[in-house]
Amino acid sequence: MSRCDFKIVLLGSEHVGKTSLVLRFVNCRFNADIPYQNTVGAAFCAKTMQSNGKDFNVGIWDTAGSERYEAMTKIYYRGAHAAIICYEPSSIESWNRLRHWLLELRTVEENCKVYLCGTKKDLLDGGNVNREVPEDIVKTYSLEQNGHFLTSSKTGENVAWPAGGSGDPNAARVERGPASGIRCSQHVFFQAFRGKNKEYCLC
Amino acid sequence: MEDVLDEVVSSEDLQKFERIFHEQLHQGKVTHKAQFEYAWCLVRSKYPTDIRKGILLLKELFNSHPDGKRDYLFYLAIGNARIKEYNKALHYVKAFLEIEPANQQVLALERQINKRMEKEGLIGMAVAGGAVLAIGGIVGLGIALASRK
Ligand SMILES: Nc1nc2c(ncn2[C@@H]2O[C@H](COP(=O)(O)OP(=O)(O)OP(=O)(O)O)[C@@H](O)[C@H]2O)c(=O)[nH]1
Ligand SMILES: [Mg+2]
Repeated sequence: MSRCDFKIVLLGSEHVGKTSLVLRFVNCRFNADIPYQNTVGAAFCAKTMQSNGKDFNVGIWDTAGSERYEAMTKIYYRGAHAAIICYEPSSIESWNRLRHWLLELRTVEENCKVYLCGTKKDLLDGGNVNREVPEDIVKTYSLEQNGHFLTSSKTGENVAWPAGGSGDPNAARVERGPASGIRCSQHVFFQAFRGKNKEYCLC
Repeated sequence: MEDVLDEVVSSEDLQKFERIFHEQLHQGKVTHKAQFEYAWCLVRSKYPTDIRKGILLLKELFNSHPDGKRDYLFYLAIGNARIKEYNKALHYVKAFLEIEPANQQVLALERQINKRMEKEGLIGMAVAGGAVLAIGGIVGLGIALASRK
């Protein structure tokens, strides 16, 4: 853990899109051609970020949602500065499990910041699926947490910076102007970084 | 930086899953789950003897429980890589990729294993090893020629 300045852990039920979210953020990619492959145990990813010219390393543990791994994945919650708990707005079941994930997290890491993340926004927007989780319930529940986001790993919305961005959101905003620049407040990973330390605020 | 090959199990976790495994063993019926969780702790231990024990348990599971094949292959690769049995580790990686050719998690593990082999000079050493054999062959030939007289 020596060179990892910030640890984020991803939680949530099977198939909600945790791995896709991480891959979109780290590699700026989404591959719809690869069939779904459930994560084995937990996967680790690292990314170096810049904040006002200073580097910092983010370590992301992407845990598997399948119940088969539950006893094991808890171990990766330890020492997390922020947790992103994912659900699919079109699956009430995945939302109902959210409380369970939160409790699990709290038994291990009491003080870690918690961000809720509704995934696969593109499917909702395109009318491919119906929303099963009422928005007002999400809103009320999110108030107790540190934030809520709606993301699409497919389009990159609220997960990645605009195409061609340099990776430094401050630079991206200068290059592209505020209108086309990303809005930090809606970006799930940026908000998570803010959790620990103002130093890492990228806004 | 922390990664799947460096990450070490805490002794409390190891003991916890060890206890469950032994209790079941004592009662004469070990579930796949208990054996897998214990093996998973063992292959993440800092002691090679633990890791070897974990590998044995995983092999047993691999042969008796086809449903969990990909789990067992994955941790067999990790266990072997951690005791520097890189070729065996890559063998398990290949077996996994035969089932799921594009698996990102396993491709990342493969890259990591290759990186370690390179860092530890193992790829270079194999070449040097070949050269030693060749020289040995020449010396042997020389001795054979010399002893002809
Ligand atoms: N359209 C669309 N599909 C998505 C999106 N995110 C994920 N998917 C698809 O949803 C499926 C599951 O995604 P994963 O990221 O593997 O899910 P996971 O939460 O990591 O699953 P586990 O590892 O089993 O816990 C895959 O087939 C993805 O292609 C998204 O934003 N939009
Ligand atoms: Mg996954």
